[in-house]
Amino acid sequence: MPVIEVDRLSKTFRSRVKPRGFVAGIRAVAKPETRIVDAVRAVSFSVEEAEAVAFLGPNGAGKSTTIKMLTGILSPSSGSARVLGLDPSKRGGRERNALARSIGAVFGQKSQLWFHLPPADSFRLLGAVYEIDRKALAARSGELVERFGMAELMDVPVRRLSLGQRIRCEIAASLLHSPRVLFLDEPTIGLDVVVKREIRLLLEELVKRDRVTIFLTSHDIGDIEKICKRAIIIHHGEVVVDESMKDLKHRALAKKYVGVKYAHPVDIDLPGLSPVKRTEDAARFEVDTRRHRLPELIAALAARGELLDLTVEDEPLENIIAEIFGSRSAAEASAVTAAARDARVEEEDAPVAGTDADGRGEP
Amino acid sequence: MKTLKAYLRFLAAAFAVNVKSVVEYRANFLAQTFGMMLNNAAFAVFWKVLLDRTGGLGGYGFADVMFVWAIVSTSFGLAHVVFGNVRGLSEIIREGDLDAYLLQPKDVWLNVLASRTEPSAWGDFAYGFVVLAFLPGISPERVALFCILALAAAAVFTACFALMESLAFFMGDSTALSGALTEFLLSFSLYPETVFDPGMRWIFYTIVPSGFIAFVPLAAFRSLDWRLVPIAIGAAAAYVALSRAVFNAGLRRYESGNKIGTKV
Repeated sequence: MPVIEVDRLSKTFRSRVKPRGFVAGIRAVAKPETRIVDAVRAVSFSVEEAEAVAFLGPNGAGKSTTIKMLTGILSPSSGSARVLGLDPSKRGGRERNALARSIGAVFGQKSQLWFHLPPADSFRLLGAVYEIDRKALAARSGELVERFGMAELMDVPVRRLSLGQRIRCEIAASLLHSPRVLFLDEPTIGLDVVVKREIRLLLEELVKRDRVTIFLTSHDIGDIEKICKRAIIIHHGEVVVDESMKDLKHRALAKKYVGVKYAHPVDIDLPGLSPVKRTEDAARFEVDTRRHRLPELIAALAARGELLDLTVEDEPLENIIAEIFGSRSAAEASAVTAAARDARVEEEDAPVAGTDADGRGEP
Repeated sequence: MKTLKAYLRFLAAAFAVNVKSVVEYRANFLAQTFGMMLNNAAFAVFWKVLLDRTGGLGGYGFADVMFVWAIVSTSFGLAHVVFGNVRGLSEIIREGDLDAYLLQPKDVWLNVLASRTEPSAWGDFAYGFVVLAFLPGISPERVALFCILALAAAAVFTACFALMESLAFFMGDSTALSGALTEFLLSFSLYPETVFDPGMRWIFYTIVPSGFIAFVPLAAFRSLDWRLVPIAIGAAAAYVALSRAVFNAGLRRYESGNKIGTKV
């Protein structure tokens, strides 16, 4: 049975349009103008137990809004969601409390620790919030402190911790009540590579050892590749890709990056293939494997001179995702263009030379 | 019973964390506490001079005025000591900072209000007891009555401020309304009920409930009349229920936010 089930979940926000000019400002006091923003549009997916899912999208795609609906922070405008069989939109009573006891959440930008106090004090308060028995709380705190390497941090005021140390404490705090589902919104934002690696290892272990379901949004491709086995990509509030990381990476197989380094300066130019980067004794090629056979290319490069190093890499996941966002935006832009053109043709009953993305006709 | 015990443990833990948090800056805490007590004491001097000349005002003698100051000060202080977010609720709603509270298995209204203490309010809270100690005819029974009445009045203060601040869900910002109510509540509570026109006294038992904060407690305290206690407690319960209902209705309109934030 899925742990998270989302069916045509939508969220619209009404925002006030700022009037331009003094007169419009006065008029807006009596009659404010509002516009509807579709933050999430009929999103559907499900997540199984102990699955680690990356929920990706560019800024403003609707990632955080979706997470906030799944955790009960925001109420959906339409559609439904169930987390562990419970309805997060129920604002009061037992169902909300039952859900809150079963899920954990880490918002990289918002802290649940008291800024001026050591994490130990926040942990004690969270123990009372989640009604964890004092002995059980001590045991669970001890376990998390050991696992997250926080022994020396527990009595230091949070304001004196580094960002990495604080995030470690934040994640540990979100696990105090042993949640079955952990929602993470940009957990490694602003962290250095060493701390990011530590956090990723801890999250990986949570999935494997404790069978915690992880639902993660991140702009960090490293997080996604290391922790998640599946990616859901959302763009303009709609799911555009929902597939395994393996399949997502498979898209990259048509493109390889080949790097060479020679012992001496050589003429690296190859017929029909120009390097994306080159120096006197090194070069990097972007190879379309449908047009060039890799073994032949490597043989040709080896024949140019004494090789010191040769690397063959897949296309980075970051590029694949960027391409998905890009192609989607381009498709939408051309759809808008086509729609605008059709509308104008119908309206004017005359041929139009072309329109740009805003629907304006070209001269 | 189990739920009540859990909530008492939660409130005690939240209170302990809040106290530790303000005591981190001890000098500031002490300065604010004693500063507020001195500020309140200045008014006692003013009333003493005034009543020595007039002999009384609207049926109040100096002891009555001091009792009213004691109960208003202690209950106002208690509301802000235990529920320190009561005057910041509008901003929390406006900035979309309720997320952390919505994620926790506790009543959101109570949780958000109890997650802060106001340092200067400790001075108000303590001042009431200092004044009480100097009131003529003070006895353990009167102290017990004062404590119960102060608890009920603190609940009325909390409920009224929280209600006004919760209007931010519907208006976007309600700090001005909340500020106005504070002025009205304090001003009306600190003067004898009889100086106001009888036609407007209904206001003190509805919109600006100074009646339940000062006038009913004074009547109970003067004649040591415990029969007025259920009225004070009943009114407090009604205001709390109304305040929670408005907050919960507004919660459906809550629109989170992405501001970087910490709990202090």
